[in-house]
Amino acid sequence: MKFITKKPPIVMNSQRTYKKLFTLHFALIVVAIGTVVIKALSKVPETATYTSLDLAFKALAMLVLASVFSVVIEIFYALSEKNTQKFESYKGFVDPINTGLLIALLLPSTTPFYVLALAVFVGVYIGKLVFGGYGFYIFNPALVGVLFANISFNAQLALTNTPLELLKRAIGGESITFKTAELFLGNYNEIAIGSTSVILLALIFIYLLVTRVIDFRISGTFLITVLVITFGVGYINFYAPGDFSVVLSYVLVNMITGLTVFGAVFLISESVSSPTTRETKIIYAVVIGVFMMMVRTLGSQTEGLVFAILFGNMITPLINRTVKRSNAKMLVRTVIACVVIVLLVTVALGLIVQSRLPEVAAIVGGAF
Amino acid sequence: MITEYRTYLNPKKVYLPLTDTQSKIANVLVEVGDEVLIGQKVAEKYHGRVKSPILSTVSGEVVGFEERMDRYGKLTDHIVIENDQKNNTIPYPTYSEKATSGQVRKVISEMGLTKIAIDGLYTDLRFDAKSKFVVVNSIFVNEPFLSTDYDFVTQNSEAIADGIDLLNTAANGKTAYVIVDKYMPAEAMEELGKAIVDKNIELIIIDAKKLKGQDYKFIKSLVKETLHFDLLENGVIYTRVQAVKMIHDAVRNGTPPTTRQVSLTGDGLPVNAVYNVRIGTLFAELVEDLGSYTEVENMTLHIGSFLSGIELENDDFAITESVDAINVAEYRLVEEDVCIKCGDCNDVCPAGILPQNIMDAEIRNLSSRIVELNTNECVECGLCTYVCPSKINVLEWVRRGKRRVG
Repeated sequence: MKFITKKPPIVMNSQRTYKKLFTLHFALIVVAIGTVVIKALSKVPETATYTSLDLAFKALAMLVLASVFSVVIEIFYALSEKNTQKFESYKGFVDPINTGLLIALLLPSTTPFYVLALAVFVGVYIGKLVFGGYGFYIFNPALVGVLFANISFNAQLALTNTPLELLKRAIGGESITFKTAELFLGNYNEIAIGSTSVILLALIFIYLLVTRVIDFRISGTFLITVLVITFGVGYINFYAPGDFSVVLSYVLVNMITGLTVFGAVFLISESVSSPTTRETKIIYAVVIGVFMMMVRTLGSQTEGLVFAILFGNMITPLINRTVKRSNAKMLVRTVIACVVIVLLVTVALGLIVQSRLPEVAAIVGGAF
Repeated sequence: MITEYRTYLNPKKVYLPLTDTQSKIANVLVEVGDEVLIGQKVAEKYHGRVKSPILSTVSGEVVGFEERMDRYGKLTDHIVIENDQKNNTIPYPTYSEKATSGQVRKVISEMGLTKIAIDGLYTDLRFDAKSKFVVVNSIFVNEPFLSTDYDFVTQNSEAIADGIDLLNTAANGKTAYVIVDKYMPAEAMEELGKAIVDKNIELIIIDAKKLKGQDYKFIKSLVKETLHFDLLENGVIYTRVQAVKMIHDAVRNGTPPTTRQVSLTGDGLPVNAVYNVRIGTLFAELVEDLGSYTEVENMTLHIGSFLSGIELENDDFAITESVDAINVAEYRLVEEDVCIKCGDCNDVCPAGILPQNIMDAEIRNLSSRIVELNTNECVECGLCTYVCPSKINVLEWVRRGKRRVG
């Protein structure tokens, strides 16, 4: 018998990093299964030469291939580093599989397999392992892979008639009707296979919030920002006196289609690449929300979340460096500043979409 | 889980350390062979101009001076007194209802009551012109595993209330505050509530299950300024109910502090018990009284609070008046993961500084950044390490940062 000493404090709580990873793993697998089921149940156009089961099988194959390939890359890297101890238990496989599943879930069902494999390679090797593996990367590895695929293989991943694209055309002057029930059920041309099942994602969102894997100060602020900006832009552009239905459908399409909810659940609150204090977390979420809506309303891309989150990751070290302490005064100041910024951006975006900004500027300029 | 109440008041020998963490110089007043009584001053130790006595806790003969490990893990000289089991006590003056501030201060310094609660944020009982707030803690706040001994509060509620009043008198404070738990037994709460009627004492009810440094936050709202590592600098006297009870005994009954309640817990011991023990008893004797250690290969021996106490590599030390809990448990290795930058430590820090960012700066050797992040405001409560999901000892990194920038 002997006494062993270590530095106090010696008692820790029951939270563990690997438990959080396992919870996220479980959530991702549930979403993956949900995606495959939704694909199998979805309606296909009558002229199409494929059935819904084909689509489901394609989605399943993408998910399996991405996770297996991600694990293989990590194992090869571990072999080259001569440090394979991590892979003796299932714990070591959780993070690679998570990254692979995320990349597969973020790509559309038309993705060729070689694009998927390249996306996984870029995401896992260049996005994660080069920086030193889990806990050290500065950009979200899944998003690095997806961005690479989106930019390099634009033609192969081209999609038509996604709700966000239709919305862009509607702003251009076309008349398009959205069916709310279809949007909720996921029966539309989606931008990524994982983003269709909004109801499932909402349930997973609550589950991850309760288990404290994701932070409401990031995900919640992001969703609120997007809600406010879309409502404002919709109100400025589509409001007919007494008729909110067009505004509401604008908000709905922006909130539940695209990657908004998926990003809020799995991407934006990823702890390694997001800031660490509550003030910077709020700033980070607001920056991403604003940037995403700018791309959606002004840019040529229909979906801006990938760029926005990578931009947020990029400024994370900078905003981490600006804080010195965390107290109530700073929090109030941050919240007020963020609210003001969001409202200004909303008005500016709304007027730009309506092409009335020069006019307003002229009025304001005339006042001086 | 405490299962037994025991007493161990007649050890064969007692060992009294001559120095502690602050007082480094001692002046011995007895020689080998002298007969001493309970409460007799055997030495005086000095911390700057503050002189505090060391009182004999048994009556008997001084048999020698021995260098051994004290409860802080440091080698110090101990006075060894052999017990003659006669329990002859030196009479001390007692004070009736109207004890003045000066009288209470004199009793506290003459009986060496300054260092009773030392873990965590607790302060010494030293009074000066700055003293104005008295805060007494009846529970283990920020303490996940030590369960509070509520029977002590129930049985001694009158003495505790009177002791708080005396402490308040000594500090010239307006109102004294007692921190109690929302979920403490109704009986204890009722007794305490009855006892503090007509006294300038306010109950502060907190939820002790949530580890968020509530005592710290309460004191911060009380003094309305940045708190120092030593709360005495802010004029706050913060101690525990056990210390208050000892003050009551010393002032009203003239009883010098010769016994102490110590809770022995952990799976390394056959029985978890609360001991009423003579100060100066060797810990090994208590273990012998309990039986022996359970058959475990590697053990840890932890003294005091789990978040801010210390660990020893040897069980051969004597109980002093500042030991309130001893834990002997099987050694469990917790693997450290990489920091995932979740920010839990930044959220929980009661001082409002950012432990994760300080750790980052310390790893990168950025001294100016460590200064910029107000590292000197850290009070070493240990909550950052407690909440860390990766089990990194964040507090140790912050301590290193503090040491680096002085």
